[in-house]
Amino acid sequence: MKLIIASFIALAAFTLVGCKPDIGEDFTPTSGSADFSKYVAVGNSLTAGFADGALYKQGQSYAFPNILAQQFSLVGGGAFKIPYMVDENGIGVQNGLPVTKRVLGPVTDCKGVTSLSPVFAGTANLLNLAPVSSQGPYNNMGIPGAKSFHLLTPLFGNSLAQGGNPFYNRIATNPGTSTVVGDVVAQNPTFVSIWIGNNDVLGYATSGGEGGEDSITSTIAFTQYLYAIANQIFVDGRKGVIANIPDVTSVPYFNTVPYNGLVLTSQDQVDALNAAYSQLGIQFKLGQNPFIISDGNAPGGLRQIRSDEYVLLTVPQDSIKCYGWGSQVPIPGKYVLDYTEVAKIKNATDAFNQVIFEVAQQKDLAFADMASLLGSLSSGLTFDGLTFTTTFVTGGAFSLDGIHLTPQGNAVVANGFIGAINAKYGSTIPPVNVASYPGVVFP
Amino acid sequence: MIYLAGAGFANAGGYQVNLIGIRYVGMGHIGTSLTMDAGSIFFNPGSLSLIKDKYSVTGSVSGIFSYTQFQAANGGFSARTDNPLSTPFSVFASAKLSDAISVGLGVYTPFGSSIVWGDDWGGKYLIQDIKLKSVLFQPTVSYQIGDKLGIGAGLVFAYGKVDLNKALPLTFADGSSGQVNLKGHATSWGYNLGITYKLLEDLTIGLNYRSKIKMDLKDGDANFKVPGSVSSNFPAGNQFDATLPLPAVLSGGVSYKINDKFLIGAQLEYIRWSVYDSLIFDFKENTSSLPDSRNPRKYKNTFIYRLGAQYKASDLITVRLGGYYDETPVRTEYENPETPDGNRLGFSAGLSIFPMEGLSVDLSFLFVNQLKRDSEYAPANFKGAYKTYAYIPGIGLTYNF
Repeated sequence: MKLIIASFIALAAFTLVGCKPDIGEDFTPTSGSADFSKYVAVGNSLTAGFADGALYKQGQSYAFPNILAQQFSLVGGGAFKIPYMVDENGIGVQNGLPVTKRVLGPVTDCKGVTSLSPVFAGTANLLNLAPVSSQGPYNNMGIPGAKSFHLLTPLFGNSLAQGGNPFYNRIATNPGTSTVVGDVVAQNPTFVSIWIGNNDVLGYATSGGEGGEDSITSTIAFTQYLYAIANQIFVDGRKGVIANIPDVTSVPYFNTVPYNGLVLTSQDQVDALNAAYSQLGIQFKLGQNPFIISDGNAPGGLRQIRSDEYVLLTVPQDSIKCYGWGSQVPIPGKYVLDYTEVAKIKNATDAFNQVIFEVAQQKDLAFADMASLLGSLSSGLTFDGLTFTTTFVTGGAFSLDGIHLTPQGNAVVANGFIGAINAKYGSTIPPVNVASYPGVVFP
Repeated sequence: MIYLAGAGFANAGGYQVNLIGIRYVGMGHIGTSLTMDAGSIFFNPGSLSLIKDKYSVTGSVSGIFSYTQFQAANGGFSARTDNPLSTPFSVFASAKLSDAISVGLGVYTPFGSSIVWGDDWGGKYLIQDIKLKSVLFQPTVSYQIGDKLGIGAGLVFAYGKVDLNKALPLTFADGSSGQVNLKGHATSWGYNLGITYKLLEDLTIGLNYRSKIKMDLKDGDANFKVPGSVSSNFPAGNQFDATLPLPAVLSGGVSYKINDKFLIGAQLEYIRWSVYDSLIFDFKENTSSLPDSRNPRKYKNTFIYRLGAQYKASDLITVRLGGYYDETPVRTEYENPETPDGNRLGFSAGLSIFPMEGLSVDLSFLFVNQLKRDSEYAPANFKGAYKTYAYIPGIGLTYNF
């Protein structure tokens, strides 16, 4: 009897102590054959954490290399220093002028309809571009705007007035003399991530194929530059990861304005346009019609846009809604990627990715297939209960500039890098929980 | 688009709660072939008329202390539930109207769950917390044919309610997520049939069928906490309909009285969980951001295997022991943290103290080890392992006279 009561008292005590399950103890993150003690990231705006059209503090903190560094710290990774901007509005460039990041806000269009659209957060503070190299060196050497050859030239560190890049100018160890790659190597990193090449086609694409100096880098040149970068960085068995570049036409910047976004609601509109374009043989109908675009090679200098061509996110919406753009007035070429330009972009992207893959093989690097990962976003990708698409604003992965990633998008990318690194080096670096990162902020 | 990845209910093989009657819990929750007390109203209405006493009243309550851990795949984040104590109960009363006919009423809680993961955990877009409660009322009649056979039937009225929260993928300026609260209740009907036969003086077999109960939840409240700029996409005062099935259970049991003091029993249960194919939230007002939410569950039918024993140590004391193996109805690729399920091993002990003849104070203790399981909820690409321990003390009173 006493024994029975004693056992029940023991069971009651057992309950209150509540020995809890523990399933984590049999997993230990390991670094495999890599050494993550000093990690340096090199690349462009994607590496820097550029988002919402600007480089700003929070965007930098959610940049995928910083997420990687946090996970590397579980397997011996050291500190990861970021050249933070001074404020949360940050700084970007539009039409050669400094601007802040964009946020969602109410915008009233020419027809008096108010809707939620990206607007500038304020006025750009130029202190964001003040030199901070004395506090360096920095582990995040992602430079917004960098093309492949920019990483190799000392001119890149010149001031904006001298034709340099202000984002590198502020952190260059010796502006006008040092190079990005040189500053990376000087830190003697044990592990380097490199993601470069996007701007070698993107500048061409975002200018509608019209940008004079923003032409696509030739494949021969890109090959030379990338090998030059890799040959300087990956010496003495230094390890790292290299990522290929996604098809830039798959981002919201190129897919938000539909090619057939000319919506005609009355027969009068249809008749008027049919009459105006009868000589060119262009027919209109009620409902959705392809936009009229400029094309110097077409009869009359204009034609209907094809379904495999893109109207850029930057096209002035009011001009379409109220001032006849795309119908009476052709949309200027700088807002359109025509099919020959699209073909050039796709060919260049494929060729660059071939080179990147070869460099990965030759330097024995982990290979992060970002082209596949971000390419599959267009059909929807789900992680941790969040579904991402390439839809502007609501798609979740892309920020308000339609090109760069949200924190959640950066988490997805970081997990892609981690998978590639684990596969190559036999490490067991844990992935991050995508759900714990913020998405596009709604007011 | 806001997809509500869904909600369901949990504890003990899907969302069954097998804690009905402390005496039964103590012996691995066997009961289909037993003729101990009015608890037969639940376990087997056929047994009710075979109980020797004219009247039987029994009531009990259990406390579930449960701890679930989630470990994300490949060494990712780890999380633990912070579940409140839940207290399933049961009350049964029966009376013999004649030598052959017994009637009774039972009130019990065979389904329910209470899981709290927290507002900010890594699976918040699947579920933050959920409370499911059900109370079943069962008037029952039992008829004895000859002195060996009992048959019985009960009509079941079920009341259930649900209250759940989950995050929505809309980020506020402070970085927090939107949230939806879904709350509602439902009532429905079912039945409970049983047959009990004394093969030998000391060997009893029983068969019990408890019907499926389809809980149609109408006009539940859907409340959204979203940033102001998108509030028009989530209409205030919105409502939803949903259907939550409580599965049918077929159970067969055998018990053998080795002697006056010692009884052993075994029981096999078949649970028709496949009825829970998907959980659909049908919103009254849909918007482009708020389509109806369809969430595959694809439960499969399962068995539970139970063994139990009782030993009458003296006139004052009866002790019990038991155990069971409870298969999970959840497929490996549809494991959702709202019902973090796995195969379970249960070990129980029980004790009745008889201060006077016919009256007992009943105690039980059940430990449930839900085995670690690597799984995922594929529709949400949410991968990891779950493991649960539950400690369940119970207390009850029984009076047969």
